[in-house]
This record gives sequence, C-alpha cells and structure tokens, in this order.
Amino acid sequence: MTQAVRTEGLFKRFGQQVAVAGVNFTVPAGSFAGLVGPNGAGKTTTLSMITGLLRPDGGLAEVGGVDVWRDPVQVKARIGVLPEGLRLFERLSGRELLHYNGRLRGIPKAEVERRAEELLRVMDLTGSADKLVVDYSTGMRKKIGLAAALLHNPAVLFLDEPFEGVDPVSANILTEVLQRYTASGSTVIFSSHVMELVERLCDWVSVMSGGTIVAQGPIDEVRAGRSLNQAFLDLVGVRQGGEEGLTWLGSSSH
Amino acid sequence: MVGLFVALKLRLISGGMRGDTQRVLGFVFSCLAALVVAGGGFLLLSLLRLASAQVAADVGVIAFTGLLVFWATVPLLAFGVDDTLDPAKLALFPLRTRQLATGMFAASVTGIWPAASFLVTAGALVGLARGIGGVLLGIVAVLLQFALCIVASRLITTALSGLLRSRRGRDLLAVGVIVFVLMAQLPNLIVNRGLAGDPLAMVHSIASVLRWTPSGWAAHAISDGGLVGLAELVALAALVLALGWLWIRALSRALVTTDASTQAASVRRSSGLLDRILPDGRVAAVVAKELKYARRDPRGRVGWFASIAVTGVLAFSISGQGQGSGPGAAIGPACVGALMMGIQQCNIFGIDGRSLWMNAVVYGDSRDLRGDVAGRHLGVAIIAAPVLIALSVLGAVFSGGFETVLPAVLTAWGVLGVGLGVGALTSVLVPYTVPDRLNAFTGAAPGQGGVAFVASIGAMIVTALLALPVVLPVLLGVTWMSVVALPYGLALAWAGRVLASRIGYPRMPELLAAISKPT
Repeated sequence: MTQAVRTEGLFKRFGQQVAVAGVNFTVPAGSFAGLVGPNGAGKTTTLSMITGLLRPDGGLAEVGGVDVWRDPVQVKARIGVLPEGLRLFERLSGRELLHYNGRLRGIPKAEVERRAEELLRVMDLTGSADKLVVDYSTGMRKKIGLAAALLHNPAVLFLDEPFEGVDPVSANILTEVLQRYTASGSTVIFSSHVMELVERLCDWVSVMSGGTIVAQGPIDEVRAGRSLNQAFLDLVGVRQGGEEGLTWLGSSSH
Repeated sequence: MVGLFVALKLRLISGGMRGDTQRVLGFVFSCLAALVVAGGGFLLLSLLRLASAQVAADVGVIAFTGLLVFWATVPLLAFGVDDTLDPAKLALFPLRTRQLATGMFAASVTGIWPAASFLVTAGALVGLARGIGGVLLGIVAVLLQFALCIVASRLITTALSGLLRSRRGRDLLAVGVIVFVLMAQLPNLIVNRGLAGDPLAMVHSIASVLRWTPSGWAAHAISDGGLVGLAELVALAALVLALGWLWIRALSRALVTTDASTQAASVRRSSGLLDRILPDGRVAAVVAKELKYARRDPRGRVGWFASIAVTGVLAFSISGQGQGSGPGAAIGPACVGALMMGIQQCNIFGIDGRSLWMNAVVYGDSRDLRGDVAGRHLGVAIIAAPVLIALSVLGAVFSGGFETVLPAVLTAWGVLGVGLGVGALTSVLVPYTVPDRLNAFTGAAPGQGGVAFVASIGAMIVTALLALPVVLPVLLGVTWMSVVALPYGLALAWAGRVLASRIGYPRMPELLAAISKPT
C-alpha cells in the first residue's frame, strides 16, 4: 500500500520545550485517519510541519512520496488544509472566501464559482453565503473552512480539530462530506480529542503522546479488543484517580 | 463587597504583568507618566493662585470640563483593557445591582489614572479657592467633580457595553477614534490660522459657556465660595446621584440583554469593474480582497483616514502660516500624503495576520509570492492614486496656483511607488502582528513594539531618502523632474517586489509566525 503521508524523525522545539520529538507518522493512501492525543501532545505542531506552515528543526516529511520542504510546489497543489483555531479571512463573506481561495490557486473564475456554489449548498451555507465570516458561528466557520480546503480537489486533506465546538447538525454534514471524499480514494487526516468520533469514522489511527507516536495502525489493531477510549487511556498512561478528596461534592453531604 | 472589588482590580493589575518584562516595563512607564501628569496637573492648577481671580476661575472651569470630557471618552476608546469594567463578566455572580454598582464604582476608582486625575482635580483647591468658604466648598466640589467623572464614564461605557461587545459597534468606534484625534487637533489649527485674537479674551469667552456645565459648577463653586457655590454643589450632587441611578438602571439592563451582532446584514455580492478588466488569476484575487479589506476592516479604514486627514491638516496649516509661496507648498502635502500611505504598507501581511496561512499553503515558489505582493500594491494604488490627485488639487487650492497640480500628482505617485517598494522589503524583513483590537492605533502585539517601530521608522527614512533625488528638484522648482518621478517610483516598487519575494518566500513559515503572535 502506498503512503499518503510519511514522516521520519520529525522534530521541533520551541525554546527549551521539545514539542515534537522525532515523529514517525504514516498514513496509507485512501484511508480516513485519526490523529489522537492529549492536549500538548504535538498534534498541531506535527500537522503544521507536514503542511508546510511550520519549519521542522529536523527530520523528513513527505506527502505522496514528495518531500514537503524540498518540493513545495508539488505538495501544496495536492493538499487541502483546515488549521486549528479557525484562522480565516474574517472580513470576506463565505462566498468571497471560497472565490478568493480558488482563484489564488489559479483555478479559472467560472470553475471556482461553480464549485463554490455546490460546496455552499452541500454545506448548507447558501443562506449565509453573503455574511462576513467574522459573524459566522463555530460550526459555520468549520464548514466554510472545509469547503475552502476541498475547493481544489486535493488528494490529501489535513484537518486540525475539525469537530471542536461544532453542533451535531454541522458535524453530521462535515462527516458526510468527508466520507464521500474518502470513498473516492482520497485521504483524510484529522486530529481530535473525541474518541467516539474517531472510532466511528476512521480506519487508521495514530496515537500521539509527549511529542511521539505511541501507537499507529489500522484501528482494530490499535484497539485490540478494547474500546478506543480505553486503549487511548492505557497507551497515554493516565493516572486512575478521583476517589480521594472532593468529599463535599455531591448531594450526600447535605 | 467594596473591598473585594478593589482587591480584584489590584489583582488584575498585578496579574496583567506577571512574568512579562515588557509589560512590567510598560506598567512602570505608565506609573511614571501618571505621576508626572498628577504632579504636573496639580502644580499647574495650584499655580493659578498667582493669577488674577477671574483668570483662575476661567481656567479652572475649562480644566474641569476637560477632565470630564476626558473621562467620558477615553475609557470608551480603551474598552477591554480592564476586566472589572465589563458587567457581563460578573453577570453569573449572585450580586444585587446595587452591590454591583458600588463594587464597580470602587473598582473604577482604584488604579493609577483615577488617582492621578483625583490629584489634578485637588490642585484646583489650592489654585481656585480664595478664602475659607472656598476651601470648605472646594473639598466637597473636588470630591463631587471626581465622582461625576467616574459615574459619567461608567454610565457611558455601561450603556454602550452591548454595542461595544458587538462587532459592528467596535468597528464604528475604531473609526470614531480618528474623529476624536482630529478634534484634538482643532484648537491647534485655530491658533495656527491666527483666528484667535487675545488669548485671555478667548479663554474667558470659552469659560463663560462651559461655566454652565456640571463640571463648570464645581469649578465655579470653589472660586465663588459663597451661597451661589453652595447651590451649585447641591445641584451637582443631585446630578451625580441621578447619573448613578441611571448607571444602575443601565447596568441591570446590560446584564440581561444579548449581543445581536451575529444577525449582521449581508454584504453586497459584486464582482467589481476591476475583476472584469484584470486577467483572471492570483493578482486579481488579491486585489479584490485588498479592496474589500480596505473598506471593511476598521484597521484599513483607520489607516486611510489617518493619512488623508494628516495630509489635509498639513496642507491647511502650511498655507495658513504664510509660507504658501512656491511650488513646495502645493506639492509638499501630496508628497507627504504619498509617504504616509507608503509607510502604512510597511507591513503588508500584518492585517491578514493569522489568516495568511491560506496563501502560504498555496505558494510554491517566490514568483507566486511576487504575484501576491503585486496584487497588494495594485490594490493600494487603486485607492491611493485618486486620493493623491485630490490632495494635489487641494494643495493647489490652498496655495492658489493650479499649474502645480500635474507635477504634484506625478511626484506623489512616484513617492508612493518608492514607499511600496521599500514597504515590500520591510514587510518580509521585519514583519509584526497587527492586533485586531478596538483601538486601531495599537501598533503591534505585546513584545513587538520595537519591531513595529523599526519597520515604520525605517521604511519612512529609507523611502524619504530614496525619493529625495526626484522630489527635491521638484520642490525647488524644477517641476519637469516630476516626469521622471513616476517611472522612478514604478521601477523601485518593482525592484522591491522582486527582492521581497526572493527574501520572503524561503522565510514564509517565519513570516507567518511573526504576524500571528497572540495579542
């Protein structure tokens, strides 16, 4: 199986703190892959380095067998990105944002307009297409961000926390679009905290903790009979506590 | 309750600078500034003792009104600096409105600037009071004036807090700051134009109007020191109480009304004339986006307003000072305007900030980035070119010779080109984050003030030096040199773009990091 994404010893430090300590991250082409890990595990940093937004201090990152940092033209044409924190051009309307993004990538205007209208319709954003993005709700922002990332039909899609703060209706739309997209053989890689979602959607999972990959593979292998949540807690090594203290909490003390 | 709020405010002040040398320095600096203002203000007002009673009373009235206006407007413009000011943050605590009001009053009195302003007000006691009645009434008057300032300022921020939390309200206010700054220039302009005759007579005529404002009552009461003063203080106290009551009402309303800014109106769907003229592609996309941002982003609007206003003021005052002879007076302002607009472009990616990733994930070589910069330059030129024509015409009107319009326009366009070229370079060499704040004058993210300073001052000096060879001859009267100015500017802008994209493309991740610092 060919690899859609492969990193080798990817490394990044911020001052004293090592954020990503030699990550070997692989995702087979055509998979719906989840990147899970606790806060501060280095998920965002890893994804930023693979998408060419953050320069690694060491190691290799490849998308479709092409080095991200040596041949950016090829890589950038094949990837779509939805970064964390909803960083979008706030003062454009949703429709204008899609037009801007498509034309920036050199897609002819008529084609951009056609694709944008379809995306807006599928994402259920037609009614708010002419409102400024700054006035969008979280779910709407994630949807317009995904639409922008899909506009040029990338082979690999990177989504950083696409479901964070999204209402169930919007989340449903997002997953439907993504499932359709992977069904055609494209690759989706998304980071998340929500194990149930990863379990439901993904066929490949990578678990990060403390800046390294602690487990990686087809989801059933990583789970090994447990629920993904339990497997994750075991892998990350969580302290099982919460019994001592807090004696006043709850209705028994009244 | 009062003690708790005061402690909260003190904790916020100390927490705001924890672990950050830059902020500690900033705090020390503002402490010193407050000390200077307090000491200087106190001294100046108390020195009124040496002036005649009439002059002292007049100046006192003006000073008190000035303080009130200051308190009514400045906290509004700096909203968001202080967490105790936003009642919504306290809405979930089980507090009665009255408790909340006293607590917030106490919190707003706590701080270096309120203390400084109290000291300044107290200076009037020394300066204005003549006789024991004046001192006795004065103590009350100073306290009432101080309370009036605080309550009025609270009332205004609370009444508008719903608006201030909404996106549209903040956008409006950002532009309002410009108007405020321009208003501050007004007295200067009047004096400059020689419209005022005898300064003392002018002070007296202003004071005789302001004397009937509430802060005028307070000042007058101190210098009067008699029954009239007493009556004025009673009225003032009633007014403070009334404002306080209004404030409580506004507070309880603000706590239960919501922010409706998400129901904002739609924008017009348009593909402008430009879109049809320009060849389809990246440059056209960037130009369209830049033009929209100049219109929709308050920072964009403020920048343009500021440079146009400064140039207008400059043209007006140059011609007013009787230096209106020679081509310099007509051509100078347009060139300064072009320079100002050029400096604003010293950090072209700054306003995009964190959203620039959208461009960064597309660009695969330096040619792509050059196209982007070219689009930004074209966007600026589309706005600036007609504005510079207008400024040149304006300069000609003030100096009275229309033969200077053409050389002024050509030279200014040339200067703009030089500015854009230099700005492209500083944008990639010393990029910095432009905070998306209410106060559109906030220059850079915390810790990047120095970088922002270097970028804008550097861009200004280099632009001025590079523009000098073509501008100086024109200013000195060799007006045909203006024909050279435009191609010269275009060439430098092009060179700036080429260099900037060569330097900037390999630094794209670092550039992105520099303009997306947390603010």
